[in-house]
Amino acid sequence: MAGLCGKLRMYLEFSRISFQRAAAYRFEAWMRLFSNVVFLFMWGFIWYGLYMDRDSVSGVTFQSVFSYVLISQMLQGIHSAGTPLWEIQEKVRSGDIVTEIIRPYDYPTRLLFADLGSIAFYFLTAIFPLYSVIFLIFRPLIPTSPEQWFLFFLSVVLGYLIRYFIELTFGLFTFWLIETGGVEDIFYFAISLFSGATIPLWFFPGWLNTLARYLPFQGIYFVPNAIFVGELGGTELFSALTVQLFWVAVSFLILRFVWYKAGKKIVGQGG
Amino acid sequence: MITVKNISKIFYINKRQEGMLGAIRSMFFREYIEKIAVNDISFSISPGEIVGYIGPNGAGKSTTIKMLTGILVPTSGEIRVNGVIPYRERQKNARQIGVVFGQRTQLWGDLPTVDSFELLKQIYQIPEKKYRKNLETFTEILGLDEFLNTPVRQLSLGQRMRADIAASLLHDPAVLFLDEPTIGLDVVAKDRMRKFIREVNKERGVTVILTTHDMSDIEKLCKRMILIDKGKIMYDGELAKIKEVFGRDRILTIDFEGDVPFLEKGVQLIRSEGNRKWLKFNLEEISTAQLLAEIAKKNEIKDFIIQEPEIDYIIRKIYERGL
Repeated sequence: MAGLCGKLRMYLEFSRISFQRAAAYRFEAWMRLFSNVVFLFMWGFIWYGLYMDRDSVSGVTFQSVFSYVLISQMLQGIHSAGTPLWEIQEKVRSGDIVTEIIRPYDYPTRLLFADLGSIAFYFLTAIFPLYSVIFLIFRPLIPTSPEQWFLFFLSVVLGYLIRYFIELTFGLFTFWLIETGGVEDIFYFAISLFSGATIPLWFFPGWLNTLARYLPFQGIYFVPNAIFVGELGGTELFSALTVQLFWVAVSFLILRFVWYKAGKKIVGQGG
Repeated sequence: MITVKNISKIFYINKRQEGMLGAIRSMFFREYIEKIAVNDISFSISPGEIVGYIGPNGAGKSTTIKMLTGILVPTSGEIRVNGVIPYRERQKNARQIGVVFGQRTQLWGDLPTVDSFELLKQIYQIPEKKYRKNLETFTEILGLDEFLNTPVRQLSLGQRMRADIAASLLHDPAVLFLDEPTIGLDVVAKDRMRKFIREVNKERGVTVILTTHDMSDIEKLCKRMILIDKGKIMYDGELAKIKEVFGRDRILTIDFEGDVPFLEKGVQLIRSEGNRKWLKFNLEEISTAQLLAEIAKKNEIKDFIIQEPEIDYIIRKIYERGL
């Protein structure tokens, strides 16, 4: 038990350090925030244009969609503060990965905690203040009950873990392929299409909608977004959460398996 | 402390084809070249030893170190470090070893040096008391206080190496692996490093394995050396013994008055630059005084130097003809 506490303290130390370090890279954070807002307005205007002279599309009002876009951009902003794919690639290419291997910790776990630290900083100093203002100005739909808030947060956490585990797994492919551009493209394509980051799944044609609902990616943005704006409720909500949980477990197992295999695959530079 | 039994490591390297057609072909058919980095080597190291592990570039030194530290999995063979199989129990092994790579820092570049140490304290869960004591000792010997608050990225190479070696010992490891710890350092910094390594070995009983290109590292630190070339061990034993076998050779450098066509029996002319000649002879065959007398009979000697063979030379000899 004491060992476990010590371990947790150690990993949290990485969170703390990333938090501090994030403060040193403020400019980068501001640029990220800037592009996040640009995208927010772009999607806002696109949906506004599509909804001209119409009260609802597929039974969904403009306000729902707009709220969806808002919360989606906010979540994407949070996700963007921790990108293990780049870090792993950098470490493998430079050979610095060896210094992670000779430490008495689990590298994927360390990465996760470090990223949580930088996310905390980015959230507190950038995302939260900015989106508070945006929410006050535009008054989008927000959860109406404590249960809805709770389910939303739960879903956000599950969604974050799904994305993190998948992205880490893709990052680990660098151990086998020096050039991972193609693999990355698949990852980003799948995320941008199937996660519902920009287009809510309910606008997908029937078969694509069904397909998307069983893939892991919808758990990243679509489920929390839809819960937030109240488009997902009742049994539908619970089955969505179950699917999320299922994918958290599966993507975690795949990650651990790939990590185990990657551990045997390390090729050191030099003689 | 360390036992290595018949380990080999084979890398499979992707063979690149030449030209456009080759590039297209290699998209479908991959050919691999087998590179045997370490070829069936065995040795064992007792607690408290300092062993120099040397060999030319690409000999398999780093590969061996990487297997001992658990980074690489050997293709075959058995390794134990303090009873632990490094690649199987990486984290357990990590706790009992310290590693320094001369070419790459293990500290966090944008953190002040002391913050890196603090982080290591958390990582290795070093008790506060032990941490304070170690840090104090190392700060004193290595003079760390001049840069403890400077981010690692801004340190000079010498400072960085000092910080790195201190960092590797904070958790009192049983074994210390040093992969080219003096590379790129100036004479003073090298000396400081060596002194520290010797002290750590003596005072703390840390077993040290060090790879290096610099023979004076070995001469000043190690009683035992393991010489490796092309993945095979060429020599494993006392440094003194090797010096004995080859140590009877001497190099005589003479400046002559005027240009002389030189030839003396049993003496080998190894280099010639104008009036300066480098001669190699063996003490078993002729003594230095005798040789000088012989030469002085026929030629005018302006100046001369006699040198013992340097270890580089000895190693080259072993490569050339074996022991």
